[in-house]
Amino acid sequence: MTNHELELKNITMQFGGVVAVDNLSMYVDSGEIVALIGPNGAGKTTAFNCVTGVYKPTNGQVLYRNSVIVSNHPQGKMAALYAGQDAGIYKETVEPTPDKITKLGLARTFQNIRLFKTQTVFENVLIATHLHRTSNLLTAALHLNYKEERKLRELALEMLRVVGLEDLKNEIATSLPYGKQRRLEIARALATKPKLLLLDEPAAGMNPQESDDLAQFIVSIKQKFNLSVFLIEHHMDLVMDISDRIYVIDFGKLIAHGTPGQIQDNPDVIAAYLGVDEQ
Amino acid sequence: MKTNKIIISILLIICAVGLIIYSSGSQDGLDELLLRMDTQNLADSDAKMQKALGRVQESILENDRNKILRNLDRYTETFSQKLDLGGQNAADLFIYKNGPSANAISILIFAIGIAILLSAFDKNGRLKLPSVYFVLVVALYAGVYIAENTIGSNSMLMTVLKKGVIYALIAVSMNLLNGFTGLFSLGQAGFMLIGAYTYAIFTIPPASRAQVYQYYDGGLIQFAMPAVPAIVLAGIAAAFFAFLIGLPVLRLKSDYLAIATLGFAEIIRAIFQYDGLGPITNGSNLLRRFTTFNTALFPFIVAGVSIMLIALVINSTYGRSFKAIRDDEVAAEAMGINLFRHKQMSFVISSFFAGVGGALLAMYQTTVQASAFKASMTYEILLIVVIGGMGSITGSVMTSFLFVAASEWWLRFLDNDLIIGGFQVPLLRSGFRMVVFSIVIMIMVLFYRRGIMGDKEFTLKKLFAPRVKKGGKEHD
Ligand SMILES: Nc1ncnc2c1ncn2[C@@H]1O[C@H](COP(=O)(O)OP(=O)(O)OP(=O)(O)O)[C@@H](O)[C@H]1O
Ligand SMILES: [Mg+2]
Repeated sequence: MTNHELELKNITMQFGGVVAVDNLSMYVDSGEIVALIGPNGAGKTTAFNCVTGVYKPTNGQVLYRNSVIVSNHPQGKMAALYAGQDAGIYKETVEPTPDKITKLGLARTFQNIRLFKTQTVFENVLIATHLHRTSNLLTAALHLNYKEERKLRELALEMLRVVGLEDLKNEIATSLPYGKQRRLEIARALATKPKLLLLDEPAAGMNPQESDDLAQFIVSIKQKFNLSVFLIEHHMDLVMDISDRIYVIDFGKLIAHGTPGQIQDNPDVIAAYLGVDEQ
Repeated sequence: MKTNKIIISILLIICAVGLIIYSSGSQDGLDELLLRMDTQNLADSDAKMQKALGRVQESILENDRNKILRNLDRYTETFSQKLDLGGQNAADLFIYKNGPSANAISILIFAIGIAILLSAFDKNGRLKLPSVYFVLVVALYAGVYIAENTIGSNSMLMTVLKKGVIYALIAVSMNLLNGFTGLFSLGQAGFMLIGAYTYAIFTIPPASRAQVYQYYDGGLIQFAMPAVPAIVLAGIAAAFFAFLIGLPVLRLKSDYLAIATLGFAEIIRAIFQYDGLGPITNGSNLLRRFTTFNTALFPFIVAGVSIMLIALVINSTYGRSFKAIRDDEVAAEAMGINLFRHKQMSFVISSFFAGVGGALLAMYQTTVQASAFKASMTYEILLIVVIGGMGSITGSVMTSFLFVAASEWWLRFLDNDLIIGGFQVPLLRSGFRMVVFSIVIMIMVLFYRRGIMGDKEFTLKKLFAPRVKKGGKEHD
């Protein structure tokens, strides 16, 4: 058995008749930065959602450290509609809610930033420490958990320090500029103490300079917290710069896989990105 | 500085204790005082006076303070010529009348003393915010007690205060769910009904049950509980129903909760009037003769403690998760928050306190009837929550008092014909109050969409904090 940190096996996600992710198999090893790239609408975010429990895939399995965390096969109406492959191979049905996946140590950020809009920068990160609590409703309400509360606050502050937003901790989160909101999302994900970080277009809307800084930042937190990183990104400089391996998908299908050097010269990838008709 | 403070606080505390001892010394001796005033035993010879004195003594036996005061006043005023109302008697009479106020004031002085004492031992010698709140709360309760004992417990002011504080609890409980957790529920009246009935059913004394349940052979239950455990039981009963409703509904999209709770409230109202359950619920007949409160302090303390507990939950890590769910369910879930669990928690807590509020409302009304807990009651509470501000506890509390005062008191005149100098003022007629009230609320909702407080709280800190101009630099 191979020892991958995260492994996707034959993941297929079909919405009605649309196959958004088609038989995607891939893996992330411990300590790696792995990128998933592809043109708009290729199915990258959908693949993330299948891993994190937001969608339950129509078919396929997700393994985290060799244990099955998500598993499904076409059922019910989908059994007849199914347009993908390998329908019969995963008998188990495992469909955890997203919070369970997060508790396992997989934390994510969102492509379309999803901060808690009425809360301050600090509170946004503090909420992400809730899963570390040992207090129950009663002890928390009566403030008998003040020691733990102090620890959680320190953790939240520490994460703000890591992303360099400590000075802005009392601002309303959504009042921050775009780039800082993205960093705040990363701080929030880190506060759940993940082992694997899933970043959905963390550099979207950033200029080359900011994107460069972000690349260094991702490498630095990877080392600092001993993370593995699974990254979706359109900024090719960033991807080529920091990725150990790259997967490319188009129309939900895997079209290439390799090191940045191999991917850069792959004719299929160039064709997909330039929209060249292969016929 | 420190020693000064300690001395002052000790003096205040001594003063408070002295005042209590002084005023309590002559509180019970009213019988004796009546004898002393009537130095020549005139009451025995004068029939009218005998009758008036008899009324006072009767009300002493009934232990109804308001009645005693009323009859005592009538007695001493009518026969002031014949009675010895000078010297010690005057002082004792004054203290009898104002004893409760004196006690309330001495407790307030005591609280101030403690607050100053605490500030003396503070590192920076500052008065801490919790001490200030403590003193303010004591002052509020003392004020209510004094008002009750001077203006009288049946006055309009006391009615508004009592009903207002009960509505405040119910509004805050609804706000926890609708404002802080972002779940839209319309079942408040249903949970209040369960609370009110549970409380009433379990506190009617067995001796009165034959009368109350006259159509059902005295009913099924033949024991009574003390008031406070019954109130807790009322909350638990409401919470239990919320738990059951939540099991299927809270896993669905949040819109379903509104429909399910609204339906539940209607169904439960019908069930409680169902004749087959008569031995327990008394069918469609009134429940009465259960334990009620005889001082406004009771609802103030129960509602006050309840609201404080809700505030504590909201300010804990669980409350933060509720707000996260309200702001963005998907992100909250991605942060490891179990949506179902936390929604269930919020729903059950909210319903528990709606049940407690229902029990208090039953006590306030002294009778309960299921048919009164209509959907319009829920809308009333919802209105208070929206006007006060979704996500503001202080907003809900303030609006509850304003709402009750406006609907029960300030706008009452609109319902009565008013004739000034032979000219009948047009429009004023029964029902007009509702029209004005609705218009006021429509204006509120249209122009203050986020309510009086938005999702902010009214705090002393904000009131006294130096105002910092946003953006601009300070000029000197
Ligand atoms: N909930 C859904 N229901 C129906 N179709 C969906 C749903 N989510 C995604 N899709 C479809 O799946 C396809 C892939 O979408 P996805 O968001 O995964 O693309 P992406 O690779 O992340 O693109 P982008 O680079 O623009 O973010 C799109 O055609 C989209 O319309
Ligand atoms: Mg995407």
